[in-house]
Amino acid sequence: MFKRAYEKILQLPGYLKIWVKSFTGALTVVCVIGLILLPFSSNTPTFQNVMLRTFTHALIFSIFAASWDFLAGIAGQVSFGHTIFLGVAGYVCAMLVKFLQFPMWISIFIGAFAAVLFGLIIGIPCLRLKGPYLALGTLAFSLIILLILIMGSLADYLFGGAGIPALPRLSNDPKEEYLYVLVFMVISFILLIRISKSKFGTILKSIRDDDTGSQASGINITRYKIYAYMISGFFAGIAGSLYALFITAVNPSGNFGLINSFFAIIMASLGGIATISGSALGAFFFIFIEYVLIQLGFGNWVYLIFAILLIFVVRFAERGLLKPILERLKDLFDIVLGR
Amino acid sequence: MGIILEVKNLTKKFSGLTAVNDMSFEINRGEFVGLIGPNGAGKTTIFNLISGFEKPSSGTIRFNGQDITAMKPFKIVNLGLVRTFQLVRSFKYMTILDNINVSSLSRRGKKIAKEYGIDEYSSAILASVGLVDKARIPPVILPHGDLRKLQIGKALGTNPELLLLDEPFSGLSHEESISITNLINSLHSDGVTVFVTGHVLRELMHLVPRVIAMHQGKFIADGPPLEVANNKIVLEAYLGKGEGFA
Repeated sequence: MFKRAYEKILQLPGYLKIWVKSFTGALTVVCVIGLILLPFSSNTPTFQNVMLRTFTHALIFSIFAASWDFLAGIAGQVSFGHTIFLGVAGYVCAMLVKFLQFPMWISIFIGAFAAVLFGLIIGIPCLRLKGPYLALGTLAFSLIILLILIMGSLADYLFGGAGIPALPRLSNDPKEEYLYVLVFMVISFILLIRISKSKFGTILKSIRDDDTGSQASGINITRYKIYAYMISGFFAGIAGSLYALFITAVNPSGNFGLINSFFAIIMASLGGIATISGSALGAFFFIFIEYVLIQLGFGNWVYLIFAILLIFVVRFAERGLLKPILERLKDLFDIVLGR
Repeated sequence: MGIILEVKNLTKKFSGLTAVNDMSFEINRGEFVGLIGPNGAGKTTIFNLISGFEKPSSGTIRFNGQDITAMKPFKIVNLGLVRTFQLVRSFKYMTILDNINVSSLSRRGKKIAKEYGIDEYSSAILASVGLVDKARIPPVILPHGDLRKLQIGKALGTNPELLLLDEPFSGLSHEESISITNLINSLHSDGVTVFVTGHVLRELMHLVPRVIAMHQGKFIADGPPLEVANNKIVLEAYLGKGEGFA
């Protein structure tokens, strides 16, 4: 079996071959294979219905956190209102699936596009804002939308505090559900990473590092910021649509709650800002800490502990955990191989 | 030849303080001109106004006959007018090759860079400023002289017709100054119109055939360096009344 895998590797295009044989490449492939095999590792109902669902939850938030990392870590736009994408996509997807009987797959994408459009509506006024002002501006927008949904005069037309319940699931088989989400996650990550490493990504990073210098180099930073919001919004919207179908309901506090924005920030920060892949690490870490805390009866302490963890990360591990872990692993690898 | 830059009655006021006061001058295509004045004279403000980073209170700026007053900076760059900064700016966390790539990816730079390949074009620019062997190094660990060269390289990536260099010799050692002088000279002989500021007349004296002098936002003199250096008003501006010029 290994021989066949090896032969397959030899057939891949040049740069892919080199990547797969590199440390990070091989590690990524191993992780992805592990994720693919995960649902088949146990058939107990607890595992399938609880643990596997937790993994699916982590995968969805991986995409969400990665989209935030793209906007903040690559383009330098630190948004505190990322939950808007989650909510808009979730609501639009929910409405399409439930009231218009649209097929799920189309609804997921239309939800994502709706998030992109909403992102433009919010992004354009925020274009001139930087740093703490951008954070506050985006936070304010998400709060406003939340309040409109719950308390505003439009609340009744927008399903009010109860939201839209009883949505269909991606699949009634938790294995299938997990694998569908995994496909979205892997493709999203591949795309986000490729974009961030492209020349387009270089331009975004120039805006992040020195936007005045970027303008002085002839870059239309307004246009590229908009592109960054749109790309980030799309992937956050994918996560939002998937989340709606995963929880099988949408409601204001669940999908537009500030806590979701907070999750995106801590997950990306723990993993490592601007790494993109670190967001997966961060998402899995936090979803599982939350799961463990709830199992141990500390459900009420979850957010407090997350906040403390964020403070620790910012204070002691600015680069996040992914890069240092990879570096240590690589050293270990070299020692084991006797280099 | 033709006039590449025409500045008319340019004025900039910052709530009470007049940084630039009714300045007018012209620069011809292919010229090599210096702008001198003591610190605080308004040289960088003039550059900010011309390059679009500040809006004038009144007056007009024309580049190749086109009115660029208060145009957005990136648009001005894409017309062929680019400036460097007195305090060196760079994209700290990217390689210097990527630093140049950003300029090569501007609308104007891309037109040429695409023919050769963006990386290849940027590498050629790095070679022309003498930094190609450090292509994969991020600016954060480079010495000051190299950063000044990088800035010029970044400006070149946009394929400029007119290059505004703001205090390019500031903070450089003697060797580094010579290196930059040679670089600027070669740019000029390649056809780029160069407009340089400095506050040390000595540096510009041997570099440019024409110098515009300003003081407290106002135009004082315009002519060959030796003539300007001996101009009474210029001397007073630099040294106060009653002193000789060393």
